[in-house]
Amino acid sequence: MELDQKERAWLWLSDSLGAAVTAAEKLIFRNDGLLPLFDAALKRGPVGFPDELKPKQRADLIAKASQSYIDSLISAYDKMGVACVTRDSEGYPRLLREIYDPPLLLFVKGRPLQQIPLPVAVIGARKCSDYGRQMAAYFGHELASHGACVVSGLAAGCDSAAANGALTAKSAAYPTVAVLGSGVDIAYPASSSALYEAIAERGSVVSELKPGTRPGKSTFPQRNRIISGMSKGVLVCEAGATSGTRITVDFAHEQGRDVFAVPGRLTDLMSVGTNGLIKSGAAKPVFGVDDILYEYGLFTVDSPPPVRRADTSKLSAPQRKLYELLLLGEKTADTLCEQSGFSASDVNMYLTEMELSGIIRQLPKGEYSL
Amino acid sequence: MLAKLNSYGLIGITGAPITVEVDLSSGMQRVDTVGLPDNAVKESKERVRSAIINSGYAYPEMKVLVNLAPADIKKEGTVYDLPIALGILAARGLFPLHAADEYIIIGELALDGAVRSVTGVLPMVINAYERGFRHVMLPAENAEEASFFADMKVYPVSDLNAAVGHFRGYTPIEPIPQLKWEEQPVHYSHDFAEIKGQQHAKRAAEIAVAGNHNLLMIGSPGSGKTMLARSIPSILPELSMAESLEITRIHSVAGELRGTGGIVRERPFRAPHHSASIPALVGGGSRALPGEISLAHYGVLFMDEFPQFPTPVLEALRQPLEDGVVTITRASAKTTYPAEFMLVAAMNPCPCGNFGSKTKECRCSPAQIEKYRNRISSPLLDRLDIHIEMVEVDYSELTSKTQGESSAAIRARVSAARRVQAERYKDEGILFNSQLNTPLMRRYCRMEPEAEELLHTAYDRFKLSARAYTRVIKVARTIADLAGDAQIKKQHVLEAVGFRGLDQKYWGSR
Repeated sequence: MELDQKERAWLWLSDSLGAAVTAAEKLIFRNDGLLPLFDAALKRGPVGFPDELKPKQRADLIAKASQSYIDSLISAYDKMGVACVTRDSEGYPRLLREIYDPPLLLFVKGRPLQQIPLPVAVIGARKCSDYGRQMAAYFGHELASHGACVVSGLAAGCDSAAANGALTAKSAAYPTVAVLGSGVDIAYPASSSALYEAIAERGSVVSELKPGTRPGKSTFPQRNRIISGMSKGVLVCEAGATSGTRITVDFAHEQGRDVFAVPGRLTDLMSVGTNGLIKSGAAKPVFGVDDILYEYGLFTVDSPPPVRRADTSKLSAPQRKLYELLLLGEKTADTLCEQSGFSASDVNMYLTEMELSGIIRQLPKGEYSL
Repeated sequence: MLAKLNSYGLIGITGAPITVEVDLSSGMQRVDTVGLPDNAVKESKERVRSAIINSGYAYPEMKVLVNLAPADIKKEGTVYDLPIALGILAARGLFPLHAADEYIIIGELALDGAVRSVTGVLPMVINAYERGFRHVMLPAENAEEASFFADMKVYPVSDLNAAVGHFRGYTPIEPIPQLKWEEQPVHYSHDFAEIKGQQHAKRAAEIAVAGNHNLLMIGSPGSGKTMLARSIPSILPELSMAESLEITRIHSVAGELRGTGGIVRERPFRAPHHSASIPALVGGGSRALPGEISLAHYGVLFMDEFPQFPTPVLEALRQPLEDGVVTITRASAKTTYPAEFMLVAAMNPCPCGNFGSKTKECRCSPAQIEKYRNRISSPLLDRLDIHIEMVEVDYSELTSKTQGESSAAIRARVSAARRVQAERYKDEGILFNSQLNTPLMRRYCRMEPEAEELLHTAYDRFKLSARAYTRVIKVARTIADLAGDAQIKKQHVLEAVGFRGLDQKYWGSR
């Protein structure tokens, strides 16, 4: 990749300082701008350091200030297929530039960020219920099908469900972006590695941390500001009382982004967070993808509501009875035995058959749901 | 003067005849015991001396030599106290030297002359019976263990005086009445009728028992896993006398017979704690004693908190699960114990147990949950044919009117299905569907075309692993056997797919 002098300066700065945006900005301010700072460092002239920077960081900055070192970085990233997008690069997301502490530089694996259509973050708890996963997949798919780009964090649970849902929208030009809390070359958690590959192919994977950085305790909250920062709006699919999604929602509010939340049942622990957002007016409740698209001037005519309707015409009489019982909510096989009066082996048989034809699904804890 | 008496020892779980020879000769008063005695046997001379004196006899002021023959078998335990004491008294002429020739004499002595119970009586008596002995003198507490042998006379002895009186012929001991096998009632401590609700799990248990499939239960604390496991012995077919004697033999060696009335009639239920070591589980120790898996022979080995068992312990289970026997080698002994048990494993869905609950919050991180589940290796998971999820029963179901089926009714179906299998596999050297390998499955698991088609659909739709696929077929075979069908039909496959294992759900794609 070709970088001009300013971009090279950002690369130098970010290589030493990473996500320490405030310190970097103070350093630039002290030295009357980025280019004068870079020049001074290159010439080993006097550089004014703010107090935040420790002696080690100062020495590191000076040591790395050489064109040959930056060349070696560039060629290494080229080999990895990682692009560097600096604050002064063309491909830097415009929305992200508006926030309080935009990343110095974004490492991008996948397609260029300029091509992102309408970015909407879809987030939620890692330990989500089946409902949360289902909603994330539904909104992910619908948003991507209607020309939006799903921004999420590749985490287990809602995040990966949303990304997976977006990827199922075959017609979408740029279905999804994943913002990582580790280096852009590290698929974390390991269970998402297949998803990581798929996202890098059809969308992009982004991080402000240099390749090779291991995920840490503080990297994820930092990362969350990018998720909300580069999106127009943030949709929370499911969040318990103490969910980490709260951090992203706070960033979104600070950054002036729209916040949406999927309402849940009042009795579900996993929906306490989302319902609370709606109650306090911190989030707009959404009942279908239209409620989000409407905010951005997009209207749909064909988007289905998130209600599962199956073809029940082929059900036998006993299966219909079970189906009707399940209409009232998810139930275990034992409850179905009790309520239908069928034997355990019959119920198991009917349920398996209905599951095979895609009418019902098995949930954890031995429950069945439509 | 020389006296000779017959006693018995143990090699592993098999009895071996031992001759006790006592020789009195003039000299300084001392006792020497020869013939590979262990410490317990060596100490025997002190107990014998006190017991003789406290029973009112004079202890000979002579040199006493005790020889335990054959001299090349290690003699262990305290069973030789009584024969040694009687040998000394016989050598002194207190009763005719040949009065005890036809007897097997076993027993430990207390210092006051009372006879105490010993372990391992049954295997000794079985061997003695096979060798043609028809008179045994046993500690009164052990007598019942030997009461099932036709025309075997068992003399319960309570103290040394009684034994001497018997051999002198003044106060003969009455042999205990023989017990008839069939007339002994079997008591089950648990019954399926006591389990309310849980239809699904009960059905799974029935199928598992019918085909001798190992069972894995996943469920939160309080979902009834232990209750179900404890009830499983009650639906296993009743023990035959041969099976019962085999179990009793093992339990007798391990000294676990107290309170069983001498013979184990109920299928064993063993529930080792997850802190159990490998020797505790598969057997070992300096005397190569049987472990939990052998004590669960012909019964149920229940392993609660399955993933909490140390990995080496879990992996040590694999070979006995496959072979039905376990060989323990120690410096002093090499012993093979039978270990044909049904493994019932139970685990929580996650370390805290609340995973998937709508009302209780799970505090485990995804990584913790994955680590917890991955403690069960694929080959081990492969040996657990049926997986079920257990759900807490809510109060409304506990009070429901439907009475559960009794264990006796289920047992009848299970026994019938097991007979079908035994008949079908009589030339194959196996007994159960769970033991089928791939070529045998091809021969015996014929399916009607509809069933086959359904299985393929399920394979694609549920992304079954190859392992899960074969498990489904074996379980379907058992379900067909329970229904009395020679061919596997569509409904059998459908039900088997319902128990397909939670691999996909809990263990990802492996």
